Amino acid sequence: MSNYRAVLVTKATSGWGGPLTILPTDEKPYIASITGGGIHPVAARIAELTGGIAVDGFSNKVEPDEMACVIIDCGGTARCGVYPKLGVLTVDVMPASPSGPLINFIKETNFVSGVKESHIELLNEVASTAESTSATKKSAQELKAEARAKVASMQSNQPTRKPNFIEKIGRAMGGVVGTFYQAGRDTVDQVLRNILPFMAFVSTLIGIILFTGIGDILANVIKPLAGNLIGLLVISIVCALPFLSPLLGPGAVIAQVVGVLVGVEIGRGNIPPQLALPALFAINPQVGCDFVPVGLTLGEAKPETIEVGVPAVLLSRQITGPVAVILAYVASIGLYTE
Amino acid sequence: MDFFVHLAEGFIGMFQEGGKTFVGLVTGIIPTLICLITAVNAFIKFVGEERIERFAAKCTGNMVLRYTIFPILSMFFLTNPMAYTFGKFLPEHQKPAFYDSAVSFCHPITGLFPHANASELFVYMGIATGITQLGLSLGPLAIRYFLVAIVVILIRGIVTESITKMMMKRREAQVAA
Repeated sequence: MSNYRAVLVTKATSGWGGPLTILPTDEKPYIASITGGGIHPVAARIAELTGGIAVDGFSNKVEPDEMACVIIDCGGTARCGVYPKLGVLTVDVMPASPSGPLINFIKETNFVSGVKESHIELLNEVASTAESTSATKKSAQELKAEARAKVASMQSNQPTRKPNFIEKIGRAMGGVVGTFYQAGRDTVDQVLRNILPFMAFVSTLIGIILFTGIGDILANVIKPLAGNLIGLLVISIVCALPFLSPLLGPGAVIAQVVGVLVGVEIGRGNIPPQLALPALFAINPQVGCDFVPVGLTLGEAKPETIEVGVPAVLLSRQITGPVAVILAYVASIGLYTE
Repeated sequence: MDFFVHLAEGFIGMFQEGGKTFVGLVTGIIPTLICLITAVNAFIKFVGEERIERFAAKCTGNMVLRYTIFPILSMFFLTNPMAYTFGKFLPEHQKPAFYDSAVSFCHPITGLFPHANASELFVYMGIATGITQLGLSLGPLAIRYFLVAIVVILIRGIVTESITKMMMKRREAQVAA
């Protein structure tokens, strides 16, 4: 019989990993807070809900195998990986994603980040401890009382103190730096995974067009279409055809390739530069047409709404696609002309 | 023999040309892009999603704001494709229109704020590369693209909303009959 309760810790929208279920046991009663001194509010909250014991792991040594979980404020290199490696459930109050030398140990099952007090929920079930504990000589209550006494004695030496001014500044600075660092990591990740591969593809395409003379043939096709308002309107009407637009949408690949082709012709002087603006709209009236049901589901639309919504968007594009081209054509007057 | 030499040189020359373009793109665009996207990403993290949600929800009542500020905010802060989750703040008959409006902004925004849809940058960048080659500045194109798109997404929102309403009514009539 034990009074420990399980809590569910979920990640923040900007965080990573989880959700973790944290349940202290008599062997692992401690909620260790390793956040540069003091007990972090998140640790205090978990301890309060679970009935575990919050300890300041920065000032007091806690054995990793006695930790029910550990609360850290790591921006993403060292501590992030250490505790998952040691097999301790890790709650990071910073929104870090897995990184650092121990990245392989950080899993969704042992790590959750970006956690605030509001992300901790009590699970209803009252946890029953394993039978083995009742077989031990000391009862669970006794063990727990002992652990509490131990912590109380540890904390009576240094009464719970509020973080001082310098610490506050330190934490704020750490927060700012950590956020920027994480932002940089997200960015480089995005560049490597999405932008550079497409640049490679586009560069190869441009190389072939420019070198082989295919460009001259393409120019003859593209110029009459993309080189004047009527041609652009034709492109936009065709691309917006309701049975065609969902096929042209995926990944915006078609729009990107056509964009590159038109861009090359603008660069070679075959299409006047001010037509770049209407061209941007002409090549893209199908944007997102392949994605309507998914997009509506993300917006929590009902199935009936999705059934109506898909044809509504496709129909609307047939009208608004060409309208956008005309608007852009008017707005391009005076662009790149001295 | 000469023919084969020409062939080989031609073959490799094609990719050298491509390589030149690649280096141009990487050194010309990526450094600025990385710094810009990092700053914007950090800004978004500082502001926090909760605050944006609270503010965005206030823009939904008015038809003009609903199809301008609301999708722009969602695209800027949540980026493609999570932006469409803001549809949850709207009644059912406005959801398709919001999606239409928001998704139509996911390329125009990349001229000024590439973080919002970095993997589909080349819709804008492809055409913009031609402008750069002519030695012209991209600023005027990016700003006009952004501004025209605001008008376009407003029109799309209004048109799609009325089509959705019409279709919903027709469907209800069918069910009733």
